Amino acid sequence: MNLPAGREPESESRPAPAPEPAPMQASRTSAAARLTSALGARLRSWEGFLAALLLCIIVMNALTSPSFLSVENQINLFALSIEKVIVVLIMTFVILNAEIDLSVASMMGLSACALGWLVQHGVPMPAALVACLLIGMLGGAFNGFWITVVRLPSLVVTLAMLIGFRGLARVLVEDRSIKAFPEWFEALGQQPLVGPFPLSLILFFALLVLAVIVLRYSGFGRQVYVIGINLEVARYSGIDVARVKMLLFTTSGFLSALAGVLFAARLGTVRGDMGLGFELDIITIVLLGGVSIFGGAGSVYGVILSILIVLYLRNGMSLSNITGHLQTGVIGIILILSAMIPNVRGFLARVARPGLFR
Amino acid sequence: MSSPSADPPPGAGAAPGAAPARAAPVLEVTGVSKRFDMTQALDDVSLSLHAGEVHALVGENGAGKSTLIKILTGVEQSDEGEVRVEGRTVHLANAQEAQACGVAAIYQEPLVFPDLDVAENIFITHRDQALLVNWPRMYAKAEDLLASLGVRLDVRAPARGLTLASQQAVEIAKAISLEVKVLIMDEPTASLSDHEVRQLFRVARQLRDRGVAVLFITHRLEEVFEIADRITVLRDGEHISTRPAGEVTRDLLIRDMVGREVDQFYGIGGDWRSRTIGRQVCRVRGLGREGVFSGIDFDLHEGEVLGFAGLVGSRRTDVALALFGIQPADRGTVEIDGRTVRITSPRAAQQLGVAYMTEDRRKLGLAMPLSIAANVTLPVLRRYLSRLGLVQRSREEAAAEGFRERLRIKAPSALHVVGKLSGGNQQKVMFGKWLNTRPRIFLLDEPTRGIDVGAKAEVHAMVRELAEEGMAILCISSDLPEVLAMSDRILVMREGRQMGILGGSEATQEAVMSLATGEAGEEDPDAGAGRAAS
Amino acid sequence: MRLRAETRREGVLLLLIVLVLFGFSLVIENYLGARLFNRVSASVAILAILAIGQTLVVLTRNIDLSVGSIVGFTAYFVGQQLSLDNDIHPLVAVLMAVGLGAALGACNGVLVAWCRVPAIIVTLGTLALYRTILVEYSDAQTILTVNLPQWLIDLPRLNVVSYERLHLRAVVAVMLAVAVLFQLLLRYSSFGRRLYAIGSSPEAAHSAGFPTRRLVFAAFVLCGALAGLTGFLFLARFGNITVVAGLGLELKSVAAVVVGGINIFGGSGSVLGAVLGASLIDLLENSLIRSLQVSEFLRDALLGILILAAVAIDSVFMKRRRDP
Repeated sequence: MNLPAGREPESESRPAPAPEPAPMQASRTSAAARLTSALGARLRSWEGFLAALLLCIIVMNALTSPSFLSVENQINLFALSIEKVIVVLIMTFVILNAEIDLSVASMMGLSACALGWLVQHGVPMPAALVACLLIGMLGGAFNGFWITVVRLPSLVVTLAMLIGFRGLARVLVEDRSIKAFPEWFEALGQQPLVGPFPLSLILFFALLVLAVIVLRYSGFGRQVYVIGINLEVARYSGIDVARVKMLLFTTSGFLSALAGVLFAARLGTVRGDMGLGFELDIITIVLLGGVSIFGGAGSVYGVILSILIVLYLRNGMSLSNITGHLQTGVIGIILILSAMIPNVRGFLARVARPGLFR
Repeated sequence: MSSPSADPPPGAGAAPGAAPARAAPVLEVTGVSKRFDMTQALDDVSLSLHAGEVHALVGENGAGKSTLIKILTGVEQSDEGEVRVEGRTVHLANAQEAQACGVAAIYQEPLVFPDLDVAENIFITHRDQALLVNWPRMYAKAEDLLASLGVRLDVRAPARGLTLASQQAVEIAKAISLEVKVLIMDEPTASLSDHEVRQLFRVARQLRDRGVAVLFITHRLEEVFEIADRITVLRDGEHISTRPAGEVTRDLLIRDMVGREVDQFYGIGGDWRSRTIGRQVCRVRGLGREGVFSGIDFDLHEGEVLGFAGLVGSRRTDVALALFGIQPADRGTVEIDGRTVRITSPRAAQQLGVAYMTEDRRKLGLAMPLSIAANVTLPVLRRYLSRLGLVQRSREEAAAEGFRERLRIKAPSALHVVGKLSGGNQQKVMFGKWLNTRPRIFLLDEPTRGIDVGAKAEVHAMVRELAEEGMAILCISSDLPEVLAMSDRILVMREGRQMGILGGSEATQEAVMSLATGEAGEEDPDAGAGRAAS
Repeated sequence: MRLRAETRREGVLLLLIVLVLFGFSLVIENYLGARLFNRVSASVAILAILAIGQTLVVLTRNIDLSVGSIVGFTAYFVGQQLSLDNDIHPLVAVLMAVGLGAALGACNGVLVAWCRVPAIIVTLGTLALYRTILVEYSDAQTILTVNLPQWLIDLPRLNVVSYERLHLRAVVAVMLAVAVLFQLLLRYSSFGRRLYAIGSSPEAAHSAGFPTRRLVFAAFVLCGALAGLTGFLFLARFGNITVVAGLGLELKSVAAVVVGGINIFGGSGSVLGAVLGASLIDLLENSLIRSLQVSEFLRDALLGILILAAVAIDSVFMKRRRDP
């Protein structure tokens, strides 16, 4: 393909009767073989590249600031971005599935604002929490409905809901900020729960382990990959593609809502613009982790490395007094470079590994 | 839009029927060879086209017709040999250069711009297009062009939704407006209705009379005799014969095309058909899908191989897809084990014991970046999950290892990536994938497409073995000798209709061919159909 | 005489706009009037020009998410130059804005067309990057209206034609000129037609031998240039420019394009559609703000739903057309 454009629209009909089985087939298959082996090689070496990059950043950070390696700093740098990295986990699934969810940050804002609004209106905290998570699931399922049933492109649907969810969040809070949470809730968001770890961090690691297990070892993870690799192959194999996509978007809404609640707990106050623009950071981390924007390729380990790279890079820059905006720019450059390097033929691609699984 | 300013082709205005053989050829191909990995697609092929002739190019699937066309249109480059246009040796590096030399091609499924309207599709590729589009003039010219072809189309309507025949008309109009010297028509009739074929022929003759050299590729023998001035036969990448149409009989043509004995190639002894065929498992009556196919009737028994023969575009695959629930049928009944069933999804089909092995490994069949094991377990992944929903790798691997040994898949292990295997071995992985669902009715679509001779023989043996174990097999194949050698009975389709079922000694190449091309079908469409009901 | 699909779509949009006007006129007193026109048309101008640029890119099956940052960057840069030197000729200022935008668009274009990075990744990256450069460059300073030359401050209220209290602002005239120019370009130039062709079928465009890379590149450059022009108008309209100027405009421009009936997968749509889409969105926003019943904040929620509905209707409409 010479057009590096967006994805093809989902074709609705089976490709027409295939042409004559020319000997071309043989060369085509071997081209596919070459492609997949290059892909395999890239995957392996991409993670290697990320690991090397990470190591450099750690060494550099440690040299510039001795406090970098301290436990407090490590926990602190995680806690500061915990909402984003939680959503990164589900976004990995969504992009591997050859879809995208741009509405996650707005959903974070919506659930946080809903929490504030409910508490302000006298709803008991536990009920409000449950309601927020339900809103997340409903919002996600709403996205899923338009994508799987009406069959609109997820880019358009979630772009619309990026605006829509944010609008609802602002309806609830308007231009005020709500600070009505009970003390225990704020403490949960701000203070260590077990040892030095706050609740959000523990939740993140639990979800991380779950994501690794589901993506690499479960039948569902296998289906996510296969749909991303080739939706038609999945359909012809009897996989219920709509169900998988629906589940992914619902989970995406749920986890975004959870992240929004954690965000509210950490800040102790909610505002209509909470999490504004986070979706770009989140997608950047996933893509930097080597997950293909076209789906089907990439691993959760690459994404873990990418999370660490982005967090350490930001932290390192903060420690050397570089502003947040410059950090964002550096990450933007890294994103573009990371998408470009695999196109420079032969770069890094040398060793293949015997299969995506195992 | 400026008018096309190319020089008029030298042959233009030549009197119809002028002896083309004496003039210098417009296009000449000499000693062209082409090799793809393991296959010699073309071996020292020569061909010459004269202005004002319709030249038919025939041959079985895989004879090298497509490769030759690709070389002539600059899509592929030959390894050896040369192409001359009007005596000048040309190097056709890409489609544009071929077009600049006056060579254009029309395919069975043309590449149109679906969002642009008909007139624009005709003119947008013109190199000498003016800076600004003069829409009224372009519409007028497009209308004139289409009218001269006797085609009525709304030139302002977008090309999306045009029938294939109309799309071809657009492409032909484009070729005329470019004033091509050589027009290649690659199986243009494969998906057209009778009426549309008539219309196409009229246009082809018209072009011939204007002095264009038309190279006409088709599977349908009656068309060859109707339209061609000369006929060239290719077989297994070699040039077999070129004769004036008047000197060729149908039998001679078929012999040239087939040219080999069935048994020597497929090595299937007579005794294999003497086995007993079990009870009926599947009964299909009046199966159809709006606008695609209709009136399909057949029975399928345990241990039986029912061949599906027909030309490209005869809608055999669509019947299989209906039975597998990808594109459910909207009329007729399917009974499995005497129970009427509705198959609306591949999952439902699987649960009824129906499996479908696609003809397109790459796009529909296998997840290429995944391992053999992951592919083999894909349709029945549920069987390999632990109680927590995790894939039990050891069981999965053991199953895949089993298939690897049983099907003799040449790979270091079951964890090998499928995309790196050869075509034949990928085909075997697909077999494993569907055998793993333990089907009772196995729909095979072109099971030997694009694999080498050795692998073909293995596939044949495999199908035989499965039938002997009692599986009911429906096998679609465009390879006529193959389908004859493998099947107990052969259902022949043409243009979405069942032309008949041939069994035993009735099933000969000639009989199948004449049903598939519609030669005998006209007067006796139900020949042999009586067996279906028995 | 059958209408072209595009014409029909534009008709539907126009009808929707009339319906919205009618609906609000029932709710809000003195709704229809010169004030509404003057106010909405001026704000539509900014979004519409941006949407026209986005249209060029979307037609080729790409997307440009960096336009918001380009608007902010050019608005700030030109504002700063004018603050430093009030004597810069207005034409030079406009050219500065357009040229800077085109340069930023060219960066996107090179990365997409020649480095073969998917447009969504490139422009996500440059969205962040351009904003960062702006922040670094500006050193967190703000452009203040008081430092700008008087002609620029007067520009938003400059009228080309007036009829009683109905004014055709200069900015609106600029937008209309741009719209006509690009409508003609897309409809009549072979360049424009080839943009459609690429988006309609990349395979067919390739086999027809179109210089697809150069065309895609050109679309990005033009999109950047129009974003630059938008930046200039943005500066004129708001005067005070901070580093977050134009934040979120990229999504609004995509929304305008999608509502305007331009297929997000390329190949169909028109400049007129984009202008109408932008008008509908801005009209709704403005009217919802004025309506007492609807919270100022509900408008975004409604906007999201509107976009979904527009796209869904369009897709159903197209599907029906495909298999009658």
